[in-house]
Amino acid sequence: MHLFLLGVSHRTAPLDLRERLDFSSRDLGAAVEALATRPSTAESVVLSTCNRSELYVASGEPARAREELVAFLSDYHKLPREAFLPHLFVFDDAGAARHLFRVAAGLDSLVVGEPQILGQVKDAFQTAAERHCTGPMLTRVFHWAFGVGKRVRTETALGEGAVSVSFAAVALARKIFGRLDGRRVLVVGAGEISALTAQHLRSQGVAEIVITSRTHAHAEALAAQVGGRAVPWDELRRTLGRADIVVTATGSQRPIVTRHDVEAVTRRRTDPLFIIDIAVPRDVDPEVGEIEQAFLYNIDDLQGIVQENLSRRGAEIARAEAIVDEELARFTAWQRSRGAIPTVVSLRQRFDAIRRAELERLDTKLSGLPPDARARVDEVTRLIVEKLLLEPTEQLKALPDEETQVAYTEAVNRLFRLREEEGRQAAPEQAEKAPADRHRD
Amino acid sequence: MNVLPLVLYAVAGVAYAFHFAGRQPQAGRTATTLLLFAAFAHTFVIGMQTMEAGHVPFANPSRAISTFVWLLTLSYLYLELTTDERAMGVFILPIVIGLQTIPVIYPGLEARDEVLDSPWFWVHVSSLLFAYASFALASVLGLTYMLQFKEIKKKHLGYLYTRLPSLQTLDVMNSRAVAVGWLFLTLGVIVGVIWTAQARVAAPDDPNLQAMVLNDPKVFGAVLTWGVYSFAMFARRTLGWSGRRAAWLSAIGFAIVLLNFVPINYFVTTSHTFN
Repeated sequence: MHLFLLGVSHRTAPLDLRERLDFSSRDLGAAVEALATRPSTAESVVLSTCNRSELYVASGEPARAREELVAFLSDYHKLPREAFLPHLFVFDDAGAARHLFRVAAGLDSLVVGEPQILGQVKDAFQTAAERHCTGPMLTRVFHWAFGVGKRVRTETALGEGAVSVSFAAVALARKIFGRLDGRRVLVVGAGEISALTAQHLRSQGVAEIVITSRTHAHAEALAAQVGGRAVPWDELRRTLGRADIVVTATGSQRPIVTRHDVEAVTRRRTDPLFIIDIAVPRDVDPEVGEIEQAFLYNIDDLQGIVQENLSRRGAEIARAEAIVDEELARFTAWQRSRGAIPTVVSLRQRFDAIRRAELERLDTKLSGLPPDARARVDEVTRLIVEKLLLEPTEQLKALPDEETQVAYTEAVNRLFRLREEEGRQAAPEQAEKAPADRHRD
Repeated sequence: MNVLPLVLYAVAGVAYAFHFAGRQPQAGRTATTLLLFAAFAHTFVIGMQTMEAGHVPFANPSRAISTFVWLLTLSYLYLELTTDERAMGVFILPIVIGLQTIPVIYPGLEARDEVLDSPWFWVHVSSLLFAYASFALASVLGLTYMLQFKEIKKKHLGYLYTRLPSLQTLDVMNSRAVAVGWLFLTLGVIVGVIWTAQARVAAPDDPNLQAMVLNDPKVFGAVLTWGVYSFAMFARRTLGWSGRRAAWLSAIGFAIVLLNFVPINYFVTTSHTFN
């Protein structure tokens, strides 16, 4: 059984193609089920986000799986295969596992280290698992990938620091106020970044978002969008007195919030006031930043933070890649140890058969013994066989690479005449595949 | 006997520094575990000394410091385990380690002055030591507040910014620590006054008791401390002195506590010396 992966991502395909190959907007579960009915795919998971569409399958015949997956993409999205073939990437076995680990770690994301991808990978697996489209191979590799994602998140700073202006503003607000629930927000001027910032603040549970704009209709539109309340422009001074966080983003050519305005407010409050001025030219007099209780950040300050965070993430990439390498080595070692299982099983059966045959042969001689002594003879012989097999079993599971494994398996088979005596043992891999097969039938 | 806790505190201190620098959750858990072990060992030492002296060891300044360190560690552990904020450990542990070296270098014997065989005395000293431990915590919280404030104000979000808790969290914790400390300080001072009056009746010639007047440096220091923290409480509630001003006040208050505790105790005062 092989792991096989085929897909497109922001690295290989332009946006319009990714949009046309997107699964997430349509019924993802149906897509996974449709994929699982292909003859060469025993297990399947579809990972689809705005930056990637990837098909993960476990297949006994990767070459055939490739053909079928291309056909599936073409049929499902009603696209000629020529449209996407040059943009496809294809990986199998360790290459596919590495790709999945890197995706789960956020290393393959457009914004490296962004936090949502791990959840999206989990959801993709969950969707497939609920429809019984996963089996031992994909379950193992996806759970391993969740572990890699978690390790990278806890052991490196890859996902740390906000990398957009609006997130940077919210992160700062949290460093000043701790939890944001119960805080009041005033948004002055309705623009794109102020809307985004207000939305992020809303998701942090702020108590109130008050919006004012010279054009009252704009304020009302934004209020409806983020669940706030629009107030007339001439109430700006009054509402300033109630706010903990102020976002300004008007097109005004001159500052609309002066030092005098803010001082009138801070004199009456004990908590700090956080002012985010994302307007160009600035809406808030820079002198406001000199007031002890006021934290004033303008668009350049926030962009500076974003730049710094991005370069800090860059420095963490090598550490994250090292974790991926380490986990991949452990994963492939685990896979190889599973490859040794059929040989180990037939070796055990062979030894046990010899043991039983000998005990049977000695049956007449042993018949004089009392029952508990006979039981002990049985126990002792069983223990001897187990002891003899312990070391070879461990060694077979821990072989360093596939070539050595083939050579050793061959040698063991020949030395103990495993194939001739026992015939082919049913490989556990095939046995485990059964649930997926059953579902397909 | 105080050496083992000191060594464990030092090891825990290194672990906290490691955790602060690397921000690995595992290092943080290790640091907490080590500190729990240190506190346990210290509890054992204090317990032994209590059995030996018949009361909690604090009549001798060295032993009082050791008891103070123990209370500080327990208060800190309480704060850490309830808030899951480990960043302050790296600031608390140096104080713990620094102070704990004193009883290790000057072990001192627990005096058995009969004047001290009074429950009043026991309440007096334990209240004050607990108050001072709270003030120590408050001052560290104040210090971290000022560091965090500076980072955000300067718009340079660097090393400390990512590691320290939010300003609001630090301010609330500081406020609680000061309130608890003030309560116990008040209790300790009142009990001390009552006990001195009683003891004077019982032993009118004791020079130690005669020295307990307001112009004695130690007594004056305690009253000054009470004044500073009372003002801090008052100012926070009525003048709105929170945040940076509250942080400064708790730092100044604890500086006076430290002065009163160590140099004045050893070199200046005539009262409160029972050996």
